[in-house]
Amino acid sequence: MAIDYKGEHLFPGHLGQFFVVLTFGSALLSFLSYFFATTDKEGKNASWQRLGRIAFIINSLSIVGMGTCLFYILYNHYFEYHYAWAYTSKSLPVYYLVSGFWNGQEGGFLLWTFWTAVLGNILIWKAKSWERPVMTVIALSQAVLGTMVLGIDILGTRIGSSPFLLLRDALQAPIFSSPDYLSFINDGQGMNPSLQNYWMVIHPPTLFLGLASVVVPFAYAIAGLWQKRYTEWIKPAIPYALFSAMILGTGIIMGSFWAYESLNFGGFWAWDPIENASVFPWLIMIGALHVMIVFKNTGHSYVMAAILALTSFILVWYSSFLARSGILGDTSVHSFTDEGMFWQLVTGILIFLALSIYFLVVRWKDMPRTKKDEDTYSREFWMFVGAVFLALSCLQLIVVTSVPVFNAMFGTKIAPPNNEVALYNVFQAAFAILVTVLSGFAQFLKYKKTDPSKFLPTTLAYLLVAVLVAGVVVYATGIYHLKVVFIILMIGSVYSILANGKILVDAFKGKFKLAGSAIAHIGFGLLMVGALIAAGTSKVVSENKTGLQIGNGSDTTKANNPRENILVYRNEPVKMGKYLVNYVGDSISAPDHYYKIVYQELDNSGKVQQQFMLKPKVQVNKNMGGFTASPDTKHYLFHDLYTHITMTNSLSVDENQAGSEDHGQEDDSKNYDPPMARQVSAGDTIRFREGYIIFKGLSNESSVSNLQLGKNDAAIGADLEVVSHGKNYAVKPLYVIKENNVFGLAKKVDDVGLKVTLTKIIPETRKAEITVYQQPLGKRKFIVMRAIDFPYINFFWSGTIIMVIGFLMSIFRRNKELKTSNS
Amino acid sequence: MKKSSIFGLVVIAVAIAVIISTYANSSSYASFNEAAQSNAELHVIGHLDKKKELYYDATKDANYFSFYMTDNKGEECKVIFTGTKPEDFERSQQIVLTGKMVNNEFHASKILMKCPSKYTPDKLETTEVSAKKAAI
Repeated sequence: MAIDYKGEHLFPGHLGQFFVVLTFGSALLSFLSYFFATTDKEGKNASWQRLGRIAFIINSLSIVGMGTCLFYILYNHYFEYHYAWAYTSKSLPVYYLVSGFWNGQEGGFLLWTFWTAVLGNILIWKAKSWERPVMTVIALSQAVLGTMVLGIDILGTRIGSSPFLLLRDALQAPIFSSPDYLSFINDGQGMNPSLQNYWMVIHPPTLFLGLASVVVPFAYAIAGLWQKRYTEWIKPAIPYALFSAMILGTGIIMGSFWAYESLNFGGFWAWDPIENASVFPWLIMIGALHVMIVFKNTGHSYVMAAILALTSFILVWYSSFLARSGILGDTSVHSFTDEGMFWQLVTGILIFLALSIYFLVVRWKDMPRTKKDEDTYSREFWMFVGAVFLALSCLQLIVVTSVPVFNAMFGTKIAPPNNEVALYNVFQAAFAILVTVLSGFAQFLKYKKTDPSKFLPTTLAYLLVAVLVAGVVVYATGIYHLKVVFIILMIGSVYSILANGKILVDAFKGKFKLAGSAIAHIGFGLLMVGALIAAGTSKVVSENKTGLQIGNGSDTTKANNPRENILVYRNEPVKMGKYLVNYVGDSISAPDHYYKIVYQELDNSGKVQQQFMLKPKVQVNKNMGGFTASPDTKHYLFHDLYTHITMTNSLSVDENQAGSEDHGQEDDSKNYDPPMARQVSAGDTIRFREGYIIFKGLSNESSVSNLQLGKNDAAIGADLEVVSHGKNYAVKPLYVIKENNVFGLAKKVDDVGLKVTLTKIIPETRKAEITVYQQPLGKRKFIVMRAIDFPYINFFWSGTIIMVIGFLMSIFRRNKELKTSNS
Repeated sequence: MKKSSIFGLVVIAVAIAVIISTYANSSSYASFNEAAQSNAELHVIGHLDKKKELYYDATKDANYFSFYMTDNKGEECKVIFTGTKPEDFERSQQIVLTGKMVNNEFHASKILMKCPSKYTPDKLETTEVSAKKAAI
């Protein structure tokens, strides 16, 4: 049993595992201490609170310790640890080792718990009278997260999965009976090439900060109900809810940018279950935020605010369950496989669900409600309606995404909808219409009561202008080919931009309070406009047809619009839409293989309007098996041209080792079609499949490279000019007589896939016989590529940035309000 | 009170519409045999028959790929996909196809494949074998 393994570095793992246990223990201690500090009726004895604080700080420090140990292991390539072996390799640069850190599930939990710790420390510092109850919830969340990375067997079941698991404990293999097994494990499995992208360095930390931050409004909501401080919790929770919505939104869009930059599904959003799962908490958080503001200003919508704030965090756990439990195996391309955490994740959801339900039920009767309905002409009413529709749009996402969950629960065998994307698009567009329109006209309303005679004309005037502007946009971009719902959404989005633009102008005239929200709404409107045009009118340029192809991205799936791939031989330009595309060469920097593709845009007279080169890459990774393509995109201000390789014959799995193709002069005739011999005089041409050869004449050569010619020897060259696809190549095959042997020296023109030899000379007529070998088409280097044009996609990205700026301004405003009201 | 009741009804109606639309649009998992009897688009789960030919020749048609798949009931069928051969297709462990039967051939509109987990023990053994050879 006890094998004395050689060469293992066990210390960082033991230390890391110590921190793992300490993280969990201290979180539990902090939770209990804060719990007693909260329930301590006297409230005078501060020792529980002090203990809670100390335990929480220990928790934070040990999380940092855990991270340090893990990074140390990755940085030093200690492949005796499963995590290092499975996710990294020696060839990875340091910044990708950082992303290797959150490559696995355990790293994801580590990030999540780290950000929760950071937020907890901020709350200890800032929350004042809220510290005890709020920190009780935060510490509970830390304790539950702590179990996820424990990796300890309790009563025969493994609780959590530790990042410090040794390779020999993770895998069963005969190799581990050998004490020096490590000397056979020279390198790790490496990182999935599509993750080797700079967005993967910053997207996961941002997304996890967003997900982690959802706990703060949740904790405030629980604390408010628990402590019967019903009305007070909302005000301090608003800035956190804003922060959460901002960061989570940024994280989601970063993920979308990563997909656009480095994946090859051809777009920025695919409605993959994992993508949807990250949107659930965001939609609900946006809804919660709006009704929280309603309550703060009018006293309406309390119950809704509490329910949504609680739900958002439960959905964080639910989306974590969807992503990590393996339940989406049949429906998602990028879900993790189950690593034995299924029931633990379910327990995670249930803990916070039960907590929420308990407090909602127990406090149901005491929750503040208003006797009177909101006025129809009041901002609060329509904000409430908007929040409800955000929740409904989330419900639609959840219902469709959760089909595999229902199957697992009820033993049914329902498959997800065939045309899932169209279903999502139509429903989400319909909800987005309501949300954008509401985000426009609710801004014109006042809280409590608005005079309809003032409000209605302005609203209608703006609606009219929006219809006109949207009409122009719809006409100019070709959106009118899409379903009506998308056209109405365009009107709604334009309306939201215009109405909020008016509010913004007013804000600069003095009513600065609304500036943040106006900007955030404008950003959202732009984002919708960009998404609508880019997805709705993106067209596959590489289609084997010319002309406009409408309705690809949005209405039909990739499948219904096939023939999107085009074959391009090396140095053989192909007409593709308005472009002439040519694959001109390769540049290899292992393990990346870049394809140089020159695009020329021609005008009607055939003149080159512009020319540029794209270099999509393919990465070869033996461990991951084969071939991973990443696109390259030409960015313009108003559209993007996106290109990626779907197949090629120009690389092999082991191209990193071998110097590829050319095997010298040996017999390669089987690589060519049967030869054709022609007798020609000077000036004659020989036609071949892709061009012609001009025979200019014979010449005596005094020297032949690497051959010594004696005085009885001779070498005669044939001056040939090969013309193919507008390019000229001068070649000179030789006819050599040496020591009574006669042989020809062939010359190749690789670009054209041609070999020519001078096989005979007929002195009487000064004719020569030239033999031409052509490569069959299949042997020529080629790529199969797909190119998509995304119009106006920059609206999508810039809308996001503008929205974030709006959120930031709102956070500052709400914080300021908090300070002034406290003092 | 009236207004909120109306609004509540609208919400419930929308929620029901969401659920019904999902259910109405949902597809079902089937075998090739069942797919042959149906005109609808269905999902078929199975695995690649590695003994039979995978056909993809970009030089002939860059958008035609065909292969043979055995479904979970053991029936085998030729599958045609309009597109390129997915990367790494030969290594797939399980395939989920979406599509329908046309003249005894399954025309897939979508292919989702599960590749073996990166860290299967047998894989480690093979690396071990080659490493040992080099060491000796």
